[in-house]
Amino acid sequence: MTAPPTRDKSAPRTTLQRLLSRFHFGITLFAVALSGMTILLAGVTALRSYADRNIELAAQLGAYGVEPALVFNDPVAAREGIEPLTHMAGVARLRVLDDRGRPLAHWTSPVSDPTPFLTNLFFPDPASVPIRRNGSVIGTIEVWGDSSTLTDYVRLGLLAGLACLLVTALGTIALARRFEYELVKPLNEIATVAHDVRLHRRFDKRVQTLRIAELDRLGGDINTLLDELQGWQGHMEDERAMLAHRASHDPLTTMPNRAALDEQLAQRVQSAEARGTRFALLFIDADNFKAVNDNFGHAAGDAVLIALSACIKGTLRKGDFAARIGGDEFVVIIDTLDNDAAPEALTARIRDCVEDPFTLPDGTRYSASVSVGVAIYPDDGGDTTALLTAADAAMYSNKLARKLS
Amino acid sequence: MLASLLLISALSSAPQMTVQVASQSLVEGGARGIAHTANRMIGGIISYARWPDDPSPAPRTLCVIGQPKLADPIAPEMPGRGKLVVRRTAAAEVTGGGCDILFLGRMPVSDRQRLIAWVRGRPVLTLTDDDPNCLYGAMFCLAGRTGGLGFSVNLDAIGRGPLRIDPRVLKIGSDDGGRP
Repeated sequence: MTAPPTRDKSAPRTTLQRLLSRFHFGITLFAVALSGMTILLAGVTALRSYADRNIELAAQLGAYGVEPALVFNDPVAAREGIEPLTHMAGVARLRVLDDRGRPLAHWTSPVSDPTPFLTNLFFPDPASVPIRRNGSVIGTIEVWGDSSTLTDYVRLGLLAGLACLLVTALGTIALARRFEYELVKPLNEIATVAHDVRLHRRFDKRVQTLRIAELDRLGGDINTLLDELQGWQGHMEDERAMLAHRASHDPLTTMPNRAALDEQLAQRVQSAEARGTRFALLFIDADNFKAVNDNFGHAAGDAVLIALSACIKGTLRKGDFAARIGGDEFVVIIDTLDNDAAPEALTARIRDCVEDPFTLPDGTRYSASVSVGVAIYPDDGGDTTALLTAADAAMYSNKLARKLS
Repeated sequence: MLASLLLISALSSAPQMTVQVASQSLVEGGARGIAHTANRMIGGIISYARWPDDPSPAPRTLCVIGQPKLADPIAPEMPGRGKLVVRRTAAAEVTGGGCDILFLGRMPVSDRQRLIAWVRGRPVLTLTDDDPNCLYGAMFCLAGRTGGLGFSVNLDAIGRGPLRIDPRVLKIGSDDGGRP
């Protein structure tokens, strides 16, 4: 199994919502800036041409107004002639020249130009209109514009742009919220399921149907994966249980084996020690088992063992424990001994059962017998080894006594 | 204040004397300069007048009666390509016709009154340089002013005839421009 790639915890993380919000804002900002710039440029161009026309018209109007003044060479009348132009917006300076180029009247706006740079850029030259009388030029009027209308427009445009930007920001936040609901929620659902499965081994969890097709497909794939995982998990659990059973049980008699007994006995000793209770250990050994094997064959031996184990199992009470620890040796733990007669009673019952004749595979009727040794915890031994040894010794003495008799 | 009250009363009591004293042209170069400026002014005024039979193929005729005071010798300067015929005439010959413009110089009061009366209702422009206050019925009156030369307009005289004068000239010749 390959190790998962190490995830750098210190790397800066961002949420999907923030990412989307940033994207939205970027795109909208770009669009607003682009359209704003376009409108501003188009507006400035259009306004510029309008301003040019305006100045041109002002010059024409002035030319009409100051014509008699030039004919009469009257500076006061010339001043009166250009007076209406001084009220026009966007007119910065006026000058009336006679036929010899000498100024007859001159006017400069008392309002100083807020942006001389723009004025120089957009209106570098005055609108100059020759004044004619009966076909000959009698003078010239010059009108300089200023950029006040343009700057007003640009200022207004920038303000509008700023307002648009504000609306954009708000809209982006709202959109991101909506996206969070639409996208992040189902993703979170998937993540929750995955998390639950990983942390709590809840392989029965499934992702619900999602509204977004791609995410739904992802959810479906995850569900399929979970199905497979659940299958594997069940299979593995069965396998493990089987292996565990096989490791702790004797395959012939399906009784717990020596290893299981050791474990069980250690537990019983511990719990009895902790609670101050007593329990009995029976060591059971079949008599003449070797002879059965030799005379009737191994199949007969196996049949005897199965019959013995069946008798032992049949006499067990709830909480008692029996194991086959080798060849023809069985051990029984009699739980929480309440009276000392219980082991004897159990032994007698086992003997009764065992001595009942049964048919061997070859048809012979056979009646078995067993030797039984009893050890009591804690009277005969304080630990597992001592108990087993005591029980074993008791069994041997029992076998010997029975042989002698 | 008192002067303006007097002016208002004069205007209301004698409407035929609605006289505007106004224009002031720059004069350059002494006595000859004055004559030059006067001639230019006369030419300018004539160029802004419209006769009922305009456009006329023949040039307009200026009849000079009496002795000019400012425009001497009289030779109006027409702006552009305008043309003018100048003729000296006796007061008695004017009524015979042929004059589009009368320039009234220094002359007996009776002659002047007769000519002004004759002009009434006819397409004839009248100018004078011998009536600084423009009180005797000529349509335009040239007069010397401090530092220059000016003209006044007698709106009543113009209103009585069929001639049309460019309003811009009337405005220049009028007194409403807030002049000092």
